[in-house]
Amino acid sequence: MLKSVGHNFYTPFLSLFDQLVLGNCVLLVNLRRMRLEKCWFCSSTVYPGHGIQFVRNDAKIFHFCRSKCHKNFKMKRNPRKVKWTKAYRRLHGKDMTQDSTFEFERKRNRPERYDRNLAENTLKAIKKIDKIRSDRASDHIKNRLKTGKVQRQKEARKQLELGIHLVKAPLALAQDSSLCLPKIKDNVSQAQTEENQPMEE
Amino acid sequence: MIQPQTHLNVADNSRARELMCIRVIGASNRRYAHIGDVIVAVIKEAVPNTPLERSEVITAVIISTRKELKRDNGMIIRYDDNAAVVIDQEGNPKGTQIFGAIARELRQLNFTKIVSLAPEVL
Repeated sequence: MLKSVGHNFYTPFLSLFDQLVLGNCVLLVNLRRMRLEKCWFCSSTVYPGHGIQFVRNDAKIFHFCRSKCHKNFKMKRNPRKVKWTKAYRRLHGKDMTQDSTFEFERKRNRPERYDRNLAENTLKAIKKIDKIRSDRASDHIKNRLKTGKVQRQKEARKQLELGIHLVKAPLALAQDSSLCLPKIKDNVSQAQTEENQPMEE
Repeated sequence: MIQPQTHLNVADNSRARELMCIRVIGASNRRYAHIGDVIVAVIKEAVPNTPLERSEVITAVIISTRKELKRDNGMIIRYDDNAAVVIDQEGNPKGTQIFGAIARELRQLNFTKIVSLAPEVL
């Protein structure tokens, strides 16, 4: 469906079937555009052709990425309480909430005058920012899980100390002094190799 | 999927409140009406002391259905209720205000007056 619009602006993210006639100053623009929405329930991106939009009676539109989210919505579940949603993870500090890379994704309703350089740079920037954001997010998760890891290692060492008689008979340990309990070191990999020694002998 | 006996809300200020579909306009044995289809309806509930009254037969165009509307670009839209706008024989709405978001399909079916009155077009 082509409509002539009297202004000069070129709205980005045109659909595949648009024909853009670069005439004097009037651009034929298809007023429907493809926008990447966020699923209301799980916050993942809804690409064109996927999902369902639900229009409530107060004209609020809910986008869903798949029927799983749609069905959860119909069950009146609160996404902030459903563990696998982004809303829950952000609320409970599982995922990164504040970062400067989020600023780039804010929705802007102002149409930009088409500039080829701008478009090219934007595409490059999108890739870069995406990488930076995902790296920071995974670092956030790694840091969060660090304390648990250290705790588990401590417990493993404790268990080894207490249960060394299961690994090697105490008589054997007493007789042969070379078969001593491995020295506890903070280095993970080292502790692992030393723990293996009594087993092999 | 509106068929005879379906109750619809009225989405304009034409003083009717609820309609019941009697007939789907189109073919002789047409079963269901979707968004943008014209139906013949009887007024089941109306605002009292107005020109439109209960059990009056009128034509209406359906503007929202609970059944999903599928578009060629893959977009699927579902509304919260079944609603219609009361129109006359030419397709002009009887009311002066439309409530709720309207699907773009109505413009292509030449209900331009309705689309222009709508607060939001999806």
